[in-house]
Amino acid sequence: MKKPEVIVIGGGVTGTVAALTLAEAGASVMLIDEGVNAGSGANAGSLHVQMQSRFMRLYPDQVPNVEAALPFYRMAAEEWVRLDKDLGGIELVRKGGLMLAETEEQLAFLSKKAEREAAQGLSVEILNREALDRIAPWLGLQIIGAELCRDEGKLNPLIANRLLGARAAAVGVRRLAGRVTALRPTPQGIELETAHETLTADKVVVAAAWGAGALVHGFGVSLPTKAEPLHMNITEPGAPVINHLVQHAERSITLKQFSTGQIVIGGGWPATTAGWSAPPTVISGSMLQNVALAAHLAPAISNLRVIRTWAGMNTTIDGASVIGPLPASDRIVMAVPGDAGYTLGPLVGRIAAQLAMGDMGEIDVGRFSPARFAT
Amino acid sequence: MTDNRFTFDGQSVTAKRGQSLAAALTDAGHRTFRTTAKSAERGIFCGMGVCQDCLVSIDGQPNQRACMSLASDGMTVTRQVPFPAFSGTAAKAGAPLTLAPDVLVIGGGAGGLSAGIAAARAGADVVLLDERKVSGGQYYKQAADGVVLDGQQRDGADLVAAAKSAGITILSGVELWGAFDDLLFMAQQGDRAIIARPKTAIVATGAYERPVMVPGWTLPGVMTTGAAQTLWRSYQSLAGKRLAICGSGPLNLQVAVELARGGATIVRLAERAAHPVTRPLQAARMAVSGPALAMKGLKMEWALRRLGGTVRYGSDLIGVAQCGNALAATFQSSDGTRDTIEVDVVCMNAGFEPQNEILRLLGVSMHYDPAMGHLRCHTDDAMQTNIRGLYAVGDCKGLGGAPAACDEGVIAGTHAAAAAGFGDAYDLHSVRRRLTGHRRFQSRLWPLYDIAPRQAADMPSDTIICRCEELTLDDIRTGLDDKPGHAGTLKRATRVGMGRCQGRYCGPVAARMVAETTGKPIENLSFFAPRVPIKPVAISSIFAAEEAVREKT
Ligand SMILES: Cc1cc2nc3c(=O)[nH]c(=O)nc-3n(C[C@H](O)[C@H](O)[C@H](O)COP(=O)(O)OP(=O)(O)OC[C@H]3O[C@@H](n4cnc5c(N)ncnc54)[C@H](O)[C@@H]3O)c2cc1C
Ligand SMILES: Cc1cc2nc3c(=O)[nH]c(=O)nc-3n(C[C@H](O)[C@H](O)[C@H](O)COP(=O)(O)OP(=O)(O)OC[C@H]3O[C@@H](n4cnc5c(N)ncnc54)[C@H](O)[C@@H]3O)c2cc1C
Ligand code: FES
Repeated sequence: MKKPEVIVIGGGVTGTVAALTLAEAGASVMLIDEGVNAGSGANAGSLHVQMQSRFMRLYPDQVPNVEAALPFYRMAAEEWVRLDKDLGGIELVRKGGLMLAETEEQLAFLSKKAEREAAQGLSVEILNREALDRIAPWLGLQIIGAELCRDEGKLNPLIANRLLGARAAAVGVRRLAGRVTALRPTPQGIELETAHETLTADKVVVAAAWGAGALVHGFGVSLPTKAEPLHMNITEPGAPVINHLVQHAERSITLKQFSTGQIVIGGGWPATTAGWSAPPTVISGSMLQNVALAAHLAPAISNLRVIRTWAGMNTTIDGASVIGPLPASDRIVMAVPGDAGYTLGPLVGRIAAQLAMGDMGEIDVGRFSPARFAT
Repeated sequence: MTDNRFTFDGQSVTAKRGQSLAAALTDAGHRTFRTTAKSAERGIFCGMGVCQDCLVSIDGQPNQRACMSLASDGMTVTRQVPFPAFSGTAAKAGAPLTLAPDVLVIGGGAGGLSAGIAAARAGADVVLLDERKVSGGQYYKQAADGVVLDGQQRDGADLVAAAKSAGITILSGVELWGAFDDLLFMAQQGDRAIIARPKTAIVATGAYERPVMVPGWTLPGVMTTGAAQTLWRSYQSLAGKRLAICGSGPLNLQVAVELARGGATIVRLAERAAHPVTRPLQAARMAVSGPALAMKGLKMEWALRRLGGTVRYGSDLIGVAQCGNALAATFQSSDGTRDTIEVDVVCMNAGFEPQNEILRLLGVSMHYDPAMGHLRCHTDDAMQTNIRGLYAVGDCKGLGGAPAACDEGVIAGTHAAAAAGFGDAYDLHSVRRRLTGHRRFQSRLWPLYDIAPRQAADMPSDTIICRCEELTLDDIRTGLDDKPGHAGTLKRATRVGMGRCQGRYCGPVAARMVAETTGKPIENLSFFAPRVPIKPVAISSIFAAEEAVREKT
């Protein structure tokens, strides 16, 4: 039997894992990537599992989608643990994530949230200040408690991306630099238009993040993928003391320490887009407020210096992932992770690849079907 | 004048008044200031706050640059460890300062001072920010204690005096770290945050030195020629007794003579380029366009020989090794013969890199100058960039020398003041004519030297390229396997350029390596993407800046 020809569009974490899964399953795989603004190249490597307060605040209408997907997040974190072993070390640490409260109201909010999350099978616990002092003594004195989610963790995305790319190449995935401008069904398969040539494939996996909506426009779905430029900061190295992924019950922040000793500060502060093909630009307000908030929550880090900021492109949809074939053509399989897309990426990529090969897999992803955006 | 006493890793050290920590430690015979994550030793390298290799801990505060810190009485200084402990104290910073001058000048060297004077004389309110504690910049390098060594320092002292009497507000020891759209600038002065929203801004940030990357160039005792010059001219500290100076260009000879006069032995001045005698036509063209400077060059070489110095042309440093307390420097001459000499200090300067971070951040258009091996910024006749209200003068635009920087400063200062509503840009005809002459001389001077950047292919694979991340050429080459389309991709794959100095030295090499593999010509976008902060900035200082901005709005 002839090997199926599969083209994966998008070379971020999702597309790379999809491509290598397909190649391992015996397909002949080409990965096409435009090479600009991959969220995977800019992200902070937080393994998110508990519901992020930032997200709940910004997109309240999407919270039910996220809540229902909580078990999927836990599975996604497990997928990374497997990859960590498989790839030979991506500096994955899973000591849990702390969501901090400074007021009684915030703590009450976290307690309710923890109950909902426990119901979905997450390992969560509310800690008082005394308990926090034992595991995170560097926290500001105003912190009265926190929610600990043991499923959370962190990894080094620079290493993970490099090793995943190498693995894909090793199993025979061919890489092509370029932008796919259109998809066309033909009786034999799918035609893909790029600036230089027309390619054909038996199946196509769309892992193009913010670029996905435009690609499948006209295939009976209207996918609301949006590019969201976000800001990050990193410091020089310090003694390794921060073990957890740190967030706040009300304010936008993620803070953690890499194995390099550097502290990475982010949490969804905005950047501005500088045109289609250029990376986004840093805005002063985001840098000042994001770092000041970090210093407020963890005053001990104040004597470190920030050495770099950057901005990268996140993708938003409706909170949930989009996984599975298009209603109009089962030759086109979507692989776009929902909120906290780096956490979800490998699991989403693997499942989409299995679906493309006709393998229904062990996880039911019906709720993530693109059919929910049918026009 | 009283001396200061402080301790360094428990040992008592005496500092002359006004000395930097780096100078005082050098005088006391210390040259290892920190150890790296890979247990390598580091000390002074750039001498001007760029390389971040001279870090020490002062009174419990890690990450302080010894070259930019004043030695003061009673300080407790320790070598910096790779992963310093957090201080555990809450953020504290002085009250922030907000400025809104007509003209903000960034950089207090030849170009910046001249620009500020012109603008202030036209009636504009001028604030000048300078990173150094003492104004004058690299060319006019002023002594911390006010002693004037020679004519060059006297000219500088006159310029600084003129700036003061013109009414410029000079803020020294100020490090600018942020430049944002609509001419918003952020800086720190010690603990204090500074926020400036000027009507116009003149960038005059100068250049830093291009090193000779060879195995051993990160050892303590190997430093840029400018670093040794600053130690001597600003602080009367001799970097060592026996020196080798290498690379290419007129600064090496000048500093060799200065240090020899100060009592050092120049065991070797190795100039990469062949002797000018072998290229009489070029030498004659240079001499015609700048007879006085050409003569000065000749005299310096005679002086150096009289002082016992050895000059070799067509000779290049190929490696440095630790040899007891000394350094063994190996040279190769153009005929391929090698020899090794023992010295205390190896100085290097193989050209310059413009400090164009602010300009690149703000989106100023640039082109690549292959002869100099660096970017040049586009300005109009008024020295204005393509960003309205933003001017650029001097070496930060691409190397041009101090005399040209002065004239460009006068032009920019006059126009910036006029744009802010003070005076009209009067007839600058004679200044422009003089500037044309300076540029002609420069264009004929550099062909006598050999400053084209070395190709990676010509370097041994174990040469450290990224000082901060301690990456060798080989480490970086592994990232080329995936055919990165951009230096940023190579950076993410290998960490090249991710350290404290933000790719000041490895960046140009990485850009060239990527250009070689992609076959694309080098341009502005080939280099690492410019991002804030331009220099590392303390979290406490950002905290203070945020408060200041919040209070305003
Ligand atoms: C600053 C920042 C920090 C983040 N931090 C975290 C975090 O800590 N934890 C977490 O879980 N998530 C985080 N995220 C989100 C996460 O990075 C993304 O959701 C995730 O990387 C998406 O991966 P992906 O492979 O699906 O898409 P991407 O990595 O975005 O890759 C998509 C690729 O498709 C290409 N492409 C698009 N259209 C086309 C086309 N038509 N033809 C060819 N190629 C095309 C793009 O060029 C790009 O290379 C962060 C995001 C940002 C921006
Ligand atoms: C997990 C993680 C950890 C990191 N840790 C560090 C760290 O420790 N230290 C550190 O420094 N960085 C760190 N980074 C950030 C890193 O610097 C960036 O992600 C990236 O490698 C380079 O910068 P960028 O994203 O700003 O630009 P890139 O994504 O590399 O984009 C470069 C683009 O900028 C364009 N460009 C070049 N010059 C200009 C110009 N003058 N004007 C406009 N555009 C221009 C280029 O053409 C190119 O398209 C880290 C990133 C991640 C994801
Ligand atoms: S020597 Fe101090 S920063 Fe380079």
